[in-house]
Amino acid sequence: MNKEIIIKTVDLSKTVSTSEGELCILKGIDLEIKKSESVAIVGASGSGKTTLLSLIAGLDMPSSGEIHLGRHTITLMDEEQRANVRAEMVGFVFQTFQLLASLTALENVMLPAELKRDREAETKAKELLKRVGLDHRMNHYPRQLSGGEQQRVAIARAFASSAEILFADEPTGNLDTTTGGTIIDLLFELNQDFGSTLVLVTHDLRLAERCDRSIQIASGMIVQVPEVLAAG
Amino acid sequence: MNPALALKLLSRDWRSGELTLLLGSLIIAVATVTTITLFVDRLQQALVQESAQFLAADRVISGRGELDPEYLQKAESLGLEHAQTLSFLSMVFSADRAQFSSVKAVTDEYPLRGNLIISDEAFRKGDVVARGPAPGKVWLESRLLPSLDLKPGDMLDIGVATFFVEKALIKEPDRGGGFNNVGPRVMMNMVDVPRTEVVQPGSRLSYRYLFSGPESALVEFDEWARPKLGEDFRMFGVKEGTEGIGNALARAERFLLLGGLLGVVLAGVAIALSAQRYSLRHYDHVAILKTLGATPNGIDSLFITIFVTLGLVATGMGSALGFVSQMGIVSILQPFIPIELPAPGMQPVILGLVTGFVCLLSFALPPLIRLRGIEPVRVIRRDLDAGGVNDRLAYACGIFGTLGLMWWYSGDILLTLMIFTGAVVSIIALGIVAYGMLRSGRLLGMQAGSVWRLALAGMQRRGQENTVQILVFSLAIMLLLILFLVRTALIDEWATQIPENAPNHFAINISPEDVQPIRAMLIDNEIAAEAIYPMIQGRISLVNGKRARDYDRQNEEQSQGQEQGQDQDADGPRSSSNRNLTYARSLPDDNVILSGEWWPEDYVGEPLVSLERDIAVRNNLKVGDELTFDIQGRQLGATVASIRSVAWDNMQPNFYIIFSPESLEDFPSTFMTSFFLEREDKIFLNELLRAYPTMTVLEVDAIIAQIKTIIAQVTMAIELVLGLILISGGMVLIASIQASMDERFKQHAILRTLGASQRLVMGSLIVEFCALGFFAGLLATIGSEITVYALETQIFELEYSLNPVLWLLGPAVGTVLIGTVGTLATLRVVRTPPTIVLREIA
Repeated sequence: MNKEIIIKTVDLSKTVSTSEGELCILKGIDLEIKKSESVAIVGASGSGKTTLLSLIAGLDMPSSGEIHLGRHTITLMDEEQRANVRAEMVGFVFQTFQLLASLTALENVMLPAELKRDREAETKAKELLKRVGLDHRMNHYPRQLSGGEQQRVAIARAFASSAEILFADEPTGNLDTTTGGTIIDLLFELNQDFGSTLVLVTHDLRLAERCDRSIQIASGMIVQVPEVLAAG
Repeated sequence: MNPALALKLLSRDWRSGELTLLLGSLIIAVATVTTITLFVDRLQQALVQESAQFLAADRVISGRGELDPEYLQKAESLGLEHAQTLSFLSMVFSADRAQFSSVKAVTDEYPLRGNLIISDEAFRKGDVVARGPAPGKVWLESRLLPSLDLKPGDMLDIGVATFFVEKALIKEPDRGGGFNNVGPRVMMNMVDVPRTEVVQPGSRLSYRYLFSGPESALVEFDEWARPKLGEDFRMFGVKEGTEGIGNALARAERFLLLGGLLGVVLAGVAIALSAQRYSLRHYDHVAILKTLGATPNGIDSLFITIFVTLGLVATGMGSALGFVSQMGIVSILQPFIPIELPAPGMQPVILGLVTGFVCLLSFALPPLIRLRGIEPVRVIRRDLDAGGVNDRLAYACGIFGTLGLMWWYSGDILLTLMIFTGAVVSIIALGIVAYGMLRSGRLLGMQAGSVWRLALAGMQRRGQENTVQILVFSLAIMLLLILFLVRTALIDEWATQIPENAPNHFAINISPEDVQPIRAMLIDNEIAAEAIYPMIQGRISLVNGKRARDYDRQNEEQSQGQEQGQDQDADGPRSSSNRNLTYARSLPDDNVILSGEWWPEDYVGEPLVSLERDIAVRNNLKVGDELTFDIQGRQLGATVASIRSVAWDNMQPNFYIIFSPESLEDFPSTFMTSFFLEREDKIFLNELLRAYPTMTVLEVDAIIAQIKTIIAQVTMAIELVLGLILISGGMVLIASIQASMDERFKQHAILRTLGASQRLVMGSLIVEFCALGFFAGLLATIGSEITVYALETQIFELEYSLNPVLWLLGPAVGTVLIGTVGTLATLRVVRTPPTIVLREIA
C-alpha cells in the first residue's frame, strides 16, 4: 500500500551572505518523506543536515525552491502562517533540550497545548510525563533534572501537541551512550505509538540504522538515497 | 495567546529574578516622578498662595473708574470671593499739622489673601489681623503718626470727615507702588468714603477689585472677563502682578518642570535598559515558543500582557511609594520650609500612574517589539539576532512616547524639542568620540601592564556595547550636570538681582532746585543713592507719521489673529500710553543694547530715543523708526537709535523710553532717584519729607523683603528637586551596569577558569569601569556645556559663562561614580566560583 507523502522539497537551496561572499549551504535538494516513515539525515559536521532540518520544519526559509508539509506549501507562507503549521503538525526534540528554565517539567510539557488554548493541557502533559517515566519529577525545574531527564521532558513536550511530524536534531548529542540509547528507545517507541513521521538529524550511523531510511548529505547536496528499508 | 500562560510566565520570570531590575526601575521611576510631581505641585500651590499675598488676592482688576457690577455678579456666580479697594491722594489733618497722604479705603472682605499687621504704637512688630478698619476708624502708617504728631486714640480729618485713629498700620499685603500709593498710608473703611467728600468728579482715583477662589473658577472668570474689559481696566494675577516675583516664580516653575522632565527621561533610560536586558534574555524563550507554534502576533500579545500586568503592579506600587516618600520628605523638611504646604491632591498621583504606564510602553516597547522578530531557527543557531522586525515602528513609538512625555511634563514645546534635539545630536556626535576614545585606550593599553591591557583590550573588543554604555553613563551624568548648572546659574542670578544693599526707596517729584540739596542731605546722612534722573510725562503721538492709537489698534488686530501663546505680548505696553520719559548720557546699569547703538556721551544733535525691548516688540518698533512725542501739549520728533533690555526686577529706576541728552532740556521736568535705607533708619524719611514736602517717597523695602523670602523658598524647592533627580540618575547608572553584567560575568568567569587570579580580574574590572566613567564624564561635560548654553540663553534668559570647574568635575565624578558603582556591582563576579557563574549565564 502506498503511503501519503507528508514532506516534499523541490529544488531546495539555501545561500547565506558572508564577508567572503555568498556561501551555498544547500543546493538542489529534492526530497520526499512519507507519512509514519522514520528518516535519518546523516552527514559530516558542516554538511548542511541541520540546515535542511530547519528548512523542512519551517524554522527557516530557503533561498529558493519549495517545501510542502502535508497540504501546506510553507515556502509561500509568512511567519504567522508557518507558526500555525508548526503548532498544528510539528514537534521538535533538540540536542540542547530547549526547555524553558523558568517553568517546571509539567509546565514545559503543557506549553504546546496551552498555546492552542487546549483545556486538557495539564491532563495530557501528566499522561505524557508518566509515559516517559517522569511522573515523580513533574514539578521539578530543568536545572533540577539530569540531561537524560531533560531530554525525556523535551520528548514528552514534542508529543504533547499531537504532532504528525517529529523533527529531532542530534537528540543524543549531549548525552552519554547509555542514556542516549534509552532516550532513542523512548523516542522510537512513542513515535510508533503516535504514528508520527520522524525526521532525525544525526551523525551516529548506528542510530541512523534504526530508521526506515537514511539521507546522506555532503557539501549541501544529497549524495545517496538508500533503498527503503522498511515497508513503505 | 493564552492570558493564563502570560501570567504564568510573568510569575516565573519574577520568581527567577528576571524581572527584578525592570520592576525595580519602573517602581523607582514612578515613585520618583510621583514624589517630584506631588512635592512640586504642593510647593507650587504654596508659592502661588504665598505670592498671592502681594496682591491680597488671586486676581485683580484695576482701573481709574468703577467696574460694571456684572463682573462682581459673574464672580459670585462662579463662587469667587471679592473685595474692593479705592486709593487716592489727599491731605490729611491732625489738630495742628497736615500731611499729603495716600488714602486707601477697603471693604470688609479685604484682604482676600495675606494679612494686615497693626500695632498700638508706631514702628512696632504688631499683631496680625484678617480685616481692615471698622467704619469711623482709621489706621495710619507708622511714620505718619510722628509727622502728624498723633498717637492711637487721637482724631484725624480726611476731607470734611473726622476719624478715630485706632492703630498704627505696620504692614499691608498689597502695598505696592503706583501713583496713588506714593504717600504714607491712611487706611479707612469703604463705607466712610462718601462722607469725606474728597472723591469728586475729576479726582484721580485708583480702583482695585480683588477676587479669590478655586483655580478652575478663576480661570473661567479670567477667560470671561479679560476680553470684555475696556482699555481703562487691567486684569492680572500673581505672575503678572509684580515683575520681580513673576520672574522668580516663572523661572522656578520652569526649573521644576525641567527637573520633572529630566526625571522622566532618566527613568525612561533606566526602563529602556532593563527592558533591553529582559528582552535579550528572552530571545531563546521566544525561539522555543515559536518552534512550538507561537505566532509573531501571539508573541506580541504574550509580552504585552506581561508588560501591562507588570505596569499595573509597578505603577501602583511606585505611586504608593512616591506618595509615602513625598510625605516623608515634607515631614522632614517642614521645619525648614518657610511656608505652609497645602494638602496633597490626587491629580499628581494619577499623573504618576499615567506617566509610569506611558514610560513603560514608550521606553520598553522597542526592545519588546524586537521579540516578535526572533527567528525560530535560533534554537539551532544561537548566533541569530532578532530579524524581520520593523525597527522603525518600534523606535518611532519610543521617540514619540519620549517626546510626548517631555512635552506633557514641561508644557513647553520649545524646551522639549531643544532637549530632545540636543540629546540626539549629542548621542551621535558623542558616540563617534566615545568610539575613538575606546580605540585610543586600546593603543595605550598595549603599552601598559597586564591589568590595564586586559581591561582596555576588553573595552575595545566590546566596542559597540561599551560605546552605548559610555553614552548612557554620559547621558545620565550630563542631565545631572545640566540640572546642577542651571540651578547654580538661577540662584546666582537671583542673588545678584537684589543685592544686599539694593535701593529700597524711590524719591520722585523732586523739583530741579531741590536736586542738589537732597543729594547733599543723603550724603550727609551716609545714605547710598543711585543716579538722579529727570522725569517728564509724555506719550508717543505718531509712529512714522501714522497716529499712534491707529497703530496700536492695527497691532492688536494682528496679535489677536495669532495663537494663544502670544497673549503676553498682547498685554504688553502700548505705544500710545502715557509714560515717564527721561534723558541720559550713559546707558543705565543692567541695561543691555540689543540692536542699534547707544549715543556717545558728548552727543549733540537731533533727538534720539532708546526703547525698552517689550515696548518695541509689542508695538513693532525698530531702530530707525521716526516717533513724534506729545509732551505737555508740545510735539517733539525723535529717531529710534537703539532697543535695549531692562532688568525690571533690579529695583532701580528703569524707563521704557530714554532720550538723548539735551533733547528734553526745554521741557520742565521733575527728578527721581532711589536709595537704600535700613529699617531702623526709616525715621529719616520724616526729616527728608519735612524739608522737601513737594517730593514723594515710594517705599519698596517691604516688597524687596517679600521677594527675597520667595526666592529663598524657591531655591530650597529647587535643591530638593535636584536631590530627587539624583536618585533617578543613580538608578540609570545601576541599570546600565546591570545590563552589561551578563557579558562581563561570562568573560571573567572564562578568564578565571583559565587561571586568571582574582586580583587580575578585579583590577581589570576597576580599570574598565573607571575608564568608562572617565570617558563618560568627559563627554557629559562637553554635552552639558552645549545644552546649558542653549537653556540659559534661550529658556531662562540668563547670561551664559563657561564653567571651568566642570571640566575637572565631570571626568572626576564619572571616574569615581562609575568606578565605584561598577566595581561594587561586579564584586560577585570575583567572589563567585566560575563554574557557578557560567551555569547562571547558561
